[in-house]
Amino acid sequence: MTTATMAEEPAVFTPPQQYRVSGPGLLRSEWTKFWSLRSSWIVLVCAALFGAGIGMAVAADFRFGAEPSVEGGVTGLDVLFGFGIGAVFIAVLGALFITGEYTTGSIRSTMAAAPRRTGVLWSKAAVFASIVLAVYAALVFATFFATQALLADTHLGGMSLSDEGVLRVLTGYVVSTAYLGLLGLAIGAILRNSAGSISFYIGVVLLLPELATMLPWDWVAEVTPYAPGNAPNTLTWLDTTGATLSVGASWLWMGIWTAVSFGLAALLLKRRDV
Amino acid sequence: MESGPRVRSFEDMIEIEHLTKRYGRKTAVDDLSFTVKPGTVTGFLGPNGSGKSTTMRTVVGLDAPTSGTVRVNGRRYARFRAPMTEVGALLEAKSVHSGRTAYKHLMALAHTHSIPKRRVLEVIDLVGLTDVAGKRAGGFSLGMGQRLGIAVALLGDPAVLILDEPVNGLDPDGVRWIRELLRDLAREGRTVFLSSHLMSELAQTADHLVVIGQGRLLADTSMEDFVDGRGGGRVRVVSPEAGSLAERIQGPGVTVTSPESGVLEVQGAGAAAVGEAAAAHGIVLHELHLQRASLEDVFMEITADAVEFQQTKEGAAA
Repeated sequence: MTTATMAEEPAVFTPPQQYRVSGPGLLRSEWTKFWSLRSSWIVLVCAALFGAGIGMAVAADFRFGAEPSVEGGVTGLDVLFGFGIGAVFIAVLGALFITGEYTTGSIRSTMAAAPRRTGVLWSKAAVFASIVLAVYAALVFATFFATQALLADTHLGGMSLSDEGVLRVLTGYVVSTAYLGLLGLAIGAILRNSAGSISFYIGVVLLLPELATMLPWDWVAEVTPYAPGNAPNTLTWLDTTGATLSVGASWLWMGIWTAVSFGLAALLLKRRDV
Repeated sequence: MESGPRVRSFEDMIEIEHLTKRYGRKTAVDDLSFTVKPGTVTGFLGPNGSGKSTTMRTVVGLDAPTSGTVRVNGRRYARFRAPMTEVGALLEAKSVHSGRTAYKHLMALAHTHSIPKRRVLEVIDLVGLTDVAGKRAGGFSLGMGQRLGIAVALLGDPAVLILDEPVNGLDPDGVRWIRELLRDLAREGRTVFLSSHLMSELAQTADHLVVIGQGRLLADTSMEDFVDGRGGGRVRVVSPEAGSLAERIQGPGVTVTSPESGVLEVQGAGAAAVGEAAAAHGIVLHELHLQRASLEDVFMEITADAVEFQQTKEGAAA
């Protein structure tokens, strides 16, 4: 039988010609991957609970509580601080979005389907950033209107969207969360390990700049505001007079850190074996 | 065939030239060269850790060669516009996120190439996973995971299939199913390249064999030549007139030994020649059959050589 098949020289199979790897295809693939994991939903719900939940609880406390102490400089907008905490969940989710592929081995299927590799990274980043921007925009604005309505009759007073700086702070919460999520994604792409990436994010990005300010050198305190985790801070402050970074510088440094982290991630993705 | 812009001819679909892959100081593949042709099932045989998986990973671009080249249909894999239609690969059994359903896993991969949902459902049906396609892959048995991996490999309806230990974890029915599937795929003119560390798994499936040990090429032959070339065919004869028969068939290139009284082992003459000689001289035969060297024996013999060679070399270097 073997010799017979060999002698016939069968026509070589021609595969279908209509399929192509494309940008939109990679985006749809990453979109499907994101929503088909239960962990994505759980982490998004946790982030929402922290942001909106803390905001509502604090606002309700002001309205019905027994005169909470209000010191100078506090505004109705400060009840949104829970979104800053919720951003940790988003950064972890960003890291898991790619490290999950490495720990389970599904990265091999992914990279065999898209062997130029970097398109996968850009698509992941685009899909993830879009989802975070959309979800956080809805959450932050909804929480703003709900909490300010609760605060309207209190001695703290509610704020309106037209008040100076309010729109910038709300956008700041949305954009800085997406930025921190992307930072988590890039760290995940570089370290390729879930536990390592989460530890790195919490230890190096979140805690290290804070701990460093305890060092006895003045220049440390001058540098830490530029650190990747601190760069977006100014955006979420209503009063920016004491800030080291201006609003513009804050945007610039978020751009720089995003470019640096993704540049390194893309370079390593091209170079390393999967 | 109908509207394909590229002209395909009968040629080497996978070309591996002087491939070397090192991980740190360890050499996994050492100056390996061979080709795989379409329309046949080519078995890739070697003990565990001999470099089979590494070689297969370089074909689909997961690992970059330290030196040498790997081409599919004349091109580097990463240069294809639709890689999944060129090569379908089953590498490690579980290349799927444990939290995702089989259907979503296939769908996510299909999207990259704009492969329609219809094709996804088709391959799910083909590999027999219809009932569990909506279940999370983390709960799959090894055999089910293997079937999902085969579905992924078939998704792009590819011209070349690369399967690393595809029968691992499959039950006897599954093993028979995959053998028939691979033969059918080869008959359609596809290139089928599958690895195994067990000769018996390849014996009934492969037409051609590439054997490696310690990352080096040991044999690249048709299945028949592989068996005949080593150990050779030996004819065992039982006859009450064994001594007389031995005299009649002895000649140049033919050796006859008698392991016990009344039994002959003939090397260098076929069973037919022995039977005809016996009939011509009116010698009664009680038993006459061709003893083929078992494929496992042949495999063990050549890989043992390789191991020995390696040890001698290391000894000499020390």
